[in-house]
Amino acid sequence: MLYYFIRKLLAIIPMLLLISLIVFVAIQFSPIDPINYLASPDMTANSPNLQALRQLLGLNDPIYIRYIRWLGNVLHGDFGYSIVDGSSISKLIAMKLPATFEISLAALIISTIFGIGIGILSAIKQNTIIDYLGRIIGVIGISIPQFFFGIILIQFFSIKLGWLPVGGRIELGYRTWWDHVPNMILPSLALGVSMTAALLRYARNSMLDVMTKDYIKTARSKGIPEWKVYIKHAFRNALGPTLVILAFRLPILIGGSVMIEAVFSWPGIGAIILQGVSSSDYPVIMMTTMMIATAMLIASFLVDLIMALLDPRIRFDR
Amino acid sequence: MGRGEIILDVRNLRTHFRVGSDDLSILRGVSFTARQGETLAIVGESGCGKSVTVHSVMRLLPKNGRLTGGQILFHDNGRTFELHKLEPFGKEMRSIRGRKIGMIFQDPMASLNPVYKVGDQVAENLLQHFKLTKHEAQRRIVEMFASLGIPEPERRILDYPHQFSGGMKQRVMIAIAMICNPDLLIADEPTTALDVTIQAQIMELMGKLKKEQNKAVILITHNMGLVAETADEVAVMYMGRIVERGLVERIFHNPSHPYTRALLRSVPVLDHGKTERLETIRGATPSPAECVTGCEFANRCDFMTPKCRSGIISAYEIENGHLVRCVLFEGAKELPNE
Repeated sequence: MLYYFIRKLLAIIPMLLLISLIVFVAIQFSPIDPINYLASPDMTANSPNLQALRQLLGLNDPIYIRYIRWLGNVLHGDFGYSIVDGSSISKLIAMKLPATFEISLAALIISTIFGIGIGILSAIKQNTIIDYLGRIIGVIGISIPQFFFGIILIQFFSIKLGWLPVGGRIELGYRTWWDHVPNMILPSLALGVSMTAALLRYARNSMLDVMTKDYIKTARSKGIPEWKVYIKHAFRNALGPTLVILAFRLPILIGGSVMIEAVFSWPGIGAIILQGVSSSDYPVIMMTTMMIATAMLIASFLVDLIMALLDPRIRFDR
Repeated sequence: MGRGEIILDVRNLRTHFRVGSDDLSILRGVSFTARQGETLAIVGESGCGKSVTVHSVMRLLPKNGRLTGGQILFHDNGRTFELHKLEPFGKEMRSIRGRKIGMIFQDPMASLNPVYKVGDQVAENLLQHFKLTKHEAQRRIVEMFASLGIPEPERRILDYPHQFSGGMKQRVMIAIAMICNPDLLIADEPTTALDVTIQAQIMELMGKLKKEQNKAVILITHNMGLVAETADEVAVMYMGRIVERGLVERIFHNPSHPYTRALLRSVPVLDHGKTERLETIRGATPSPAECVTGCEFANRCDFMTPKCRSGIISAYEIENGHLVRCVLFEGAKELPNE
């Protein structure tokens, strides 16, 4: 068991290196030339000066040297600086990440409870009114774009009913943590809706699949109550595949927040990504991409971990 | 020969299944009894309704299936339960299922829940029906495993199903079915998925339970060799009806329904000459959706007469306790209730 985890954990390292290499090389081949941001336009005409600057910054070095240099800095915790405003990327991320985590976590909790709950109920009550409602929620949640859902929420709850704030996050001047909960509700809901729908559909399908298994018949042949058949035998086996989908969707949650953060003017990572891309701020793009990739790898490690905990066949297989 | 007491009495059982917009008649009036210390074998081709019959008795039909007629009477120490009247997942039916009637399924690989230890899966049945301490339950399970020939039972109860071989898994299934000491054991093709050598061991084990503990056994199979070896009584099913029923030696010595005869002729026998061709039954089992008047087997039968196509075919008792549902035996005593 321990051996299994250590192996899975170690496997993350080469994956990260490979991803960093791909990201780095891809950026090098993009038409972005950092020198254009550093030098004033009149200097661009004077090419000897430009060459000297390139030499000075190490931009003329072969690509592998530059890669290793960059990697070394990153490993030392130096994520580089934005070429647009010169601010430290590590500081930028450290400042904005909590806000993104906040709504991502809330969206995760909402979608886990409602997605799995409604999905299981839908499967147990297959082809009844409850199931039809569940399936309608699933289809709507998948097909409506998140940002659009966000706009509808604002229109209804903030503008029409006036119950909740339109957007923004209270960063200063609040007394308790609860004070900024009202601001969180709508962005979390909007962010969680597609994940809820995905989990709902997946939980329903894997539950229905498990319900046809022979061991369900065995469980029933023991005369145990139906709720025990559902919870102990069916749900336990349907949970694994559902959690896999959940874990793999975690990074999508962070990526998906780009749109939602814009809609609700939520000061998170999304804003950094959006700004970085629109102004070709390549160190920022590189680091945020790396961040999402890392989240993805951690998620996949979590999947392995969950599966092993849930399924003895994996746990005992070295 | 004195026969055991009747434990299960099934009369004119009818079951329908909804498939799409059709309502198909799957069991068309099935009657049989299971007796203490005897094995009743229900044989027939795939799709003839063998499994549906025992699932109806257990009230474990899938959602689209339902009982539409007949009686299922279960006798237990002077009390009679009318299983056909009980709620399938109600308290009373559940107190019989697992406790009074144990069931073993076809595929032991798929019949055990992969995420729980086998000991816990056996204990679940025991603790559902008896108030026992965990320790006491464990002791009984270890005993049961030992009596079923599972080596190192103390250690093995802590293992997961994937750590068992097919034959051992089927023993665990038998342990689940037998742990509450039920009066009736239903085995739905218990050896179909196993190796031949393991098959023999499992059947021997079930024979021992029947003899030593005076259990009633219903064995579902399409293996005629198995029937000859283990059964006391045989019911041959075709298209949702029992076409012939009687004691095993009568069925093998005097097979009377054309379908039974054809079925027995299609079993390979070693001392047949190599040049002799194995006989097959021509045609295929019709779909239950086809509406047939008269005998369902008529289209494949070598003795078909115009009468076979008219109305309901009665059952006739051609010798004591030997029933055949065929117009060829019209001279014999008619059994109107079968």
